[in-house]
Amino acid sequence: MSALLAIVLSGIGTYFSRAVFILALANRRIPRPFRLAMEYVGPSVMAALVATMLVGPQGQIAAGPAELSALVVAALLAWKTRNHLLTLGGGMAVFWVVRALGAL
Amino acid sequence: MTDTASTARQGALDALPMFLPAVPFALVLGIAIMGSGLLPLLGWSSSPIIYGGASQLTLLTLLGDGAAVAAAVTAALIVNARHLMYSAAMAPVFQQQPPWFRWVGPYFLVDQVFVLSMLRANEEPAAFRAYYLGVGVTFWLLWMIATASAMVVGPIVPREWQLGFAVPVLFTALLVIGVDRWPKAAAAGVAAAVTLLAADLPHRSGLLLGAVAGIVAGILIEKARG
Repeated sequence: MSALLAIVLSGIGTYFSRAVFILALANRRIPRPFRLAMEYVGPSVMAALVATMLVGPQGQIAAGPAELSALVVAALLAWKTRNHLLTLGGGMAVFWVVRALGAL
Repeated sequence: MTDTASTARQGALDALPMFLPAVPFALVLGIAIMGSGLLPLLGWSSSPIIYGGASQLTLLTLLGDGAAVAAAVTAALIVNARHLMYSAAMAPVFQQQPPWFRWVGPYFLVDQVFVLSMLRANEEPAAFRAYYLGVGVTFWLLWMIATASAMVVGPIVPREWQLGFAVPVLFTALLVIGVDRWPKAAAAGVAAAVTLLAADLPHRSGLLLGAVAGIVAGILIEKARG
């Protein structure tokens, strides 16, 4: 039930974030500090999310050579190609190859 | 009226190629839903209720990890904070629209709908509305179908492939593609470092601490540079 609550709350919040200026503040200008802060939301949250996923349930680092090399290659691919699909494919390929090598 | 219909059809056609970048998202989301331990239908309900790939992925991954509702929802919402910018940019265009559309339109306002419809911002209100709905409804339908299909396809993939790792890979792609100047890279570095240092905190709250630290670092660097 708490999962449903979380989904509904996120849904309301997401709708609100898309609607707020259209519905209410059409002619107001957004303050500059707020605009600046929003520019940094994306990179910061994404980086924090990736870091969270490399940590195990007890707070220990749960990433080996396969994970780390895959993410480095993914970052390079994303930087060079700006293509999600290619980055996903390349990163996963490195992950599988390095893991298979480690298992030999 | 036929004019409106053909404009809407044009919007639907334009939406099709724009959906391609959303396909890996749908696939990873489907896998994340099946791995989260939630009932599949409940997990999928995030598609119509939230309708935002990155938010859905964040929320379901964190919930599956045992994060507290408040932390998971907060993270899911700040992931999609860029929608505020879309809303602000769209507000003048929507000023000329009837009230019902000002309420309904924002629900469809995802990245690709924003990009495509902004190109038509100067058209007649009725034509803009038809085009926006053509793009928006098409994109919405594709997302519903794609996320449901991914939940079927995901579990067929053998467990040893560890497809769940696609989530951090995809977020790395989003991160790097979003970095267009170095203060953003610095913000990302600070956010990752603080998150790792705060990894011991309960309910994955280190995530929020790390994100806030990154945002503050980015602003300070930008200010210092003048």
